[in-house]
Amino acid sequence: MGVEREIEIKTRNMGVTFKDNEDNDVQALTNVNLEIYKGEFIALLGPSGCGKTTLLRCVADLQKPTEGDVHIQGMTPKEVRLQQKFGFVFQQPVLFDWRTVKKNVELPMEIMGYSKGERSDRADEMLEMVGLKDFANHYPKQLSGGMQQRANIARAFGLDPDILLMDEPFSALDEFTKEKLHEDLLRIWRATNKTILFVTHNIQEGVFLSDRICVLSPHPGRLSAIVDVDLDRPRALEVKESAHFNELVAKVRNSFEGGSV
Amino acid sequence: MEREVRLQKIGRRKTLRQRAKENRKWQKASTIVLPVILGVILVGLWQGQVLHGWFHTDTFTLPLLDKIGGIMFDIKDKILINTLSTVSVAFIGLLVGSLLGYLVAVLAAMFPKIGMGGLSVIGAFASIPVVALAPVLNNWTKDVSSQASIRSMVSKIIVVTLICAADMGLNAYRGLTEIKPFSEDLMAIYAAPKRTVLWKLRLPNSLPYVFTALKVSVPASIMTAIVSEYFAEYITGVGRQIRENIVLAQYSTAWAYIATACLIGVISYVILMALQSILLRRYH
Repeated sequence: MGVEREIEIKTRNMGVTFKDNEDNDVQALTNVNLEIYKGEFIALLGPSGCGKTTLLRCVADLQKPTEGDVHIQGMTPKEVRLQQKFGFVFQQPVLFDWRTVKKNVELPMEIMGYSKGERSDRADEMLEMVGLKDFANHYPKQLSGGMQQRANIARAFGLDPDILLMDEPFSALDEFTKEKLHEDLLRIWRATNKTILFVTHNIQEGVFLSDRICVLSPHPGRLSAIVDVDLDRPRALEVKESAHFNELVAKVRNSFEGGSV
Repeated sequence: MEREVRLQKIGRRKTLRQRAKENRKWQKASTIVLPVILGVILVGLWQGQVLHGWFHTDTFTLPLLDKIGGIMFDIKDKILINTLSTVSVAFIGLLVGSLLGYLVAVLAAMFPKIGMGGLSVIGAFASIPVVALAPVLNNWTKDVSSQASIRSMVSKIIVVTLICAADMGLNAYRGLTEIKPFSEDLMAIYAAPKRTVLWKLRLPNSLPYVFTALKVSVPASIMTAIVSEYFAEYITGVGRQIRENIVLAQYSTAWAYIATACLIGVISYVILMALQSILLRRYH
């Protein structure tokens, strides 16, 4: 590439050990060394129990690593969290039932103390971006699962965070909605140039979306390979039919330690 | 021939029931029409003295409805005074008790070490029967005021307060703590301080649980007020009038007060339901 790129997130010998019910040590994650560049789209891929969500939560300071450390823009995750530089999209759309879609999107801005007008304008902009403009005044229960997840994404982008952390955001959605949201996400990412960490257990999803795939293996959870995804951008759905796409999928699949999972 | 007719009949009955099931207008109307029909039948049985036959009683102990209605009209001023006394005891007790219960629930949710103890204490108080609680509190409050009417009122309000506080405390605690998975993580991601989490997440989340508590404690507050009146020093209230009139064998007047107690209960429940449908509209 030649151009020197700025490292945004760096983990050093990071590990998480917790105690199970019988007081035995369980290593959820061990010896993770990872450097993520600014503006990069990273997929954390692996079977369940490999610690990918744990890794994401350690970056977000929702959990503390028991070994090693994480640095983000030269700060600790806690400092970054207190500066409200994270956006987090959870597995389920965590929308508050008593707030309209728009009010849900405004929630982080309320916490940040934005003015009423500012909040409203920004929320409108975000809802427009995810295609929910006409549903701004609906309540979450009136929306389909896919629309709720869009509202969730709009909320995560609302504060204009530097880093977007997504924990299997589309795993509960049907294939059609998922493909639509994949395209939407790539479009929004291109327009906003965020650093994205995207947890998934779906190889195709990881290859289609990301610049690099961090392959994690279980027992103990560890980083077993990093695969560069050199597909051209912008990517359309047709790329999934190309030979190179399928080569990459095969490459990722074979990089799980112990062969196929 | 006969077989055929019977088959036809069964067939028709089935389709009628089927039709009723499919007719949404009827489904909606039936929730009102059927209870009204039942009520009319009951009134007919009562007024026609059929009930008296079934229960081997007479119109002296179970007066006819028109007589009860007539007495209610004749002594309406007296009924109003007693209703006011009962309703104010029930309402003040409900209000103070619910606020107290909610406050303890908030404490328990924010500071589990202190708050959970408080929650256990009011829970324990509520498990004491009203018939035991009322005389004890009568005794405790005898120095509150030199006026018997005020002393009695305070004593009755405290009983209602304790009953309502427990109900609200336990329900509100659930509402404040049983929140959607990841909601707390979401607030943490945006570095929301504790009071913001309370204000924007826990309090709104508890509102439906508050109504669950009120659905029990509104009728309970009236019941408790009525029962505590039996033990109070000062003679006032709908419940006390039922007792006084039964002692004097004035059954018609006693029934007038029983009907009043029913009305108070029904009306307060209707008000509660109306409030709920307004305040919880956005939760559904």
